[in-house]
Amino acid sequence: MSLYSTLLGFFSFLGYPLSNAAAYLFESIFLLLAASLSLVFMIYLFRKYMARVQLRIGPNRVGKFGLLQLIADVFKLVQKESLFPKNRDDLPYRIAPVMVIIGLMLAFAVIPYGSFFYFGSLTVSDTGVSVILLFAILSIMPIGEVLAGISSRNKYALLGALRAVAKDISFEIPMMISVLAIIMMASARTSAPLSIDSIVVTEVLPYGILQPIGISVFLVAMIARASYSPFDMGESDSELITGFSTEYSGMRFGMFYAGLFGSILLGSFVVSLFYLGGFNGPFSGDLGAVWLGIKALILVIISFTVWLSMPRIRIDKFVNFGWKYLLPLAMINLVISGALTLMTGW
Amino acid sequence: MQDFIEINFGPQHPSTHGVLRLKAKLDGEIVKEIEPVIGYLHRNAEKLCEMTFYADNLVYFDRMDYVASMLMESGYLEAAEKILNIVPPERVLWIRVIMNELSRIASHLVWAGAFGLDLGMLTPFFYCFAERDKVLEVFTEICGSRQETNYMSIGGVYQDITPGIVDHIEAFLESFPKRLEEIYKIFVGNDVFISRNKGIGVMSREVAIDYGVTGPMLRASGVNYDVRKAEPYLVYDKLNFEVPVSYKGDNLARFLVRFEEMRQSVHILKQAIRKIPDGPFFNPKAKKSMMIRLRGDGEYYARTESSKGEFGVYIVADGGVKPYRVHVRSPTFKNLSVVQELAKDQMIADMVAILGSVDLVFGEVDR
Repeated sequence: MSLYSTLLGFFSFLGYPLSNAAAYLFESIFLLLAASLSLVFMIYLFRKYMARVQLRIGPNRVGKFGLLQLIADVFKLVQKESLFPKNRDDLPYRIAPVMVIIGLMLAFAVIPYGSFFYFGSLTVSDTGVSVILLFAILSIMPIGEVLAGISSRNKYALLGALRAVAKDISFEIPMMISVLAIIMMASARTSAPLSIDSIVVTEVLPYGILQPIGISVFLVAMIARASYSPFDMGESDSELITGFSTEYSGMRFGMFYAGLFGSILLGSFVVSLFYLGGFNGPFSGDLGAVWLGIKALILVIISFTVWLSMPRIRIDKFVNFGWKYLLPLAMINLVISGALTLMTGW
Repeated sequence: MQDFIEINFGPQHPSTHGVLRLKAKLDGEIVKEIEPVIGYLHRNAEKLCEMTFYADNLVYFDRMDYVASMLMESGYLEAAEKILNIVPPERVLWIRVIMNELSRIASHLVWAGAFGLDLGMLTPFFYCFAERDKVLEVFTEICGSRQETNYMSIGGVYQDITPGIVDHIEAFLESFPKRLEEIYKIFVGNDVFISRNKGIGVMSREVAIDYGVTGPMLRASGVNYDVRKAEPYLVYDKLNFEVPVSYKGDNLARFLVRFEEMRQSVHILKQAIRKIPDGPFFNPKAKKSMMIRLRGDGEYYARTESSKGEFGVYIVADGGVKPYRVHVRSPTFKNLSVVQELAKDQMIADMVAILGSVDLVFGEVDR
């Protein structure tokens, strides 16, 4: 029983092809709404949390506890004029923020959210190769950043894009290798090790405990993916103004901003799915989604704490770190997990 | 021939601390050449000083180094009182020392917070400003304003300090050292912070002396020179304190020297607050009705140790009620000029860190 089949049953009077289409349509709408709402909530949470950390109060004027502040901010951003620099490369400049946000929303569609009471499994699309699909979709976002940096014909944006590329190539390979270790371990216990759903089902003992090196490499890679402090070289707030998004304003800037917070949320989901047991937990038949939510929330708070307490690493040091430490560590992790899998049959 | 990216940092840029403009030539991430362009905050303060009475000139000095206005005031008065031949009473000297050191703490805290922001640390900024706000509360109580205090006056101070204010300062001195160590740990306990600063922007002793660098920057390069010790003014010779010196000359050394200076300032304050003698808080020769009739003659150069370095005020008087010429030796201006040397062949990120470590306040550079 899943959300999809519930919707399918609900629309069954339309006949199969139409009800199938309607079920997917409504599922996507639910997903978009849920993702946007959780993004808004995350930004609110970030601002409140940041304020508490920094001995401030945070938003408290619009609505009770400032809860409507973000809604007000979204309306403000929509109303604002989107500035277009004169020498821009028009098409890439326009589609860059859209690519970021589309890449993000698509990635939310392949994540298995676990089940929740009556609705059953909340997973939107369950493919057999969702691991590959997820990381393929995740690599759309950097394209948007690079396009933004190059097309706005601004030197700061160009430098930001260069840094973003240098950063991306130095953490993605270790990230993929540590995922490979997960797939290797899962393949001993399931026949579909490329589906995130079946990987999580095998996680009776979370892989984070079996692969302590793997979780640290992957977490660092996810921080770099989302590109916040200490790895926010793409933006480099104080040096390059705001890096690749320097020329953007209005809602187009808002899309980059949402992309940042979306990647934090997405990264937290992915880490908790791969390494912390995902939706496994007591009563996971009913409360799976809640477990995943709690784990992701804890990771989000950890991410915010890291963000708020770290200075920015210099780009050359990060590239060094990526190739000289993360990559060997990921390799070592791969070997250890291989040995574990062979010896214990896991 | 090699082509460089020419890029313009500032005058509106988040990391230039005001209105500095840097013309930079970049080779990828490497800064090949930078040229600081100043003057965007020029207000003609020195010329304006020639047009107003000695007592009124304080206002222009308040607005020079606006994060440490007490230090600017005492620097000006050091020269003006010599020209006008007015000796402030003993009590005033102690009050001025206290205000100077409080101001130094406030200035260094602003610097530490802004330096953190330059490196991408968001949080310590607020911790520093929360502590600085306590200093500003003392200032508010003592003279009614937070930043541009206008507290001291020729031959004295504007208001006497009451036991309530002494208690306030003592309460601050009670809580501050603990908070200072906390802030210190946030910075120095962070490996990334160390790696961003250790060995970056090394300034040798010779370069520092050649460029006329003074203050914490000079002391971080291994020169033990502090006007408070070398040529004591006010009552610094009656106080027991040490001048921190580092021999590394890099960003981290500048950071550590400034933090140690804050600790020494607390040390000075703790002694001074107990030693304030009783007596009048202004010299009757310079009472308010006399202020605009004070005449001076001759010329005098007074040097004081501001939070940025040696702050010199040179006044030439021609016997009138207004100075003939006022010139300010701005420490930040000298310290800024050395950036050109330090930032050569460094990465952009390091250039920003070096610029942050100089402690720039543009009110003082441009005057």
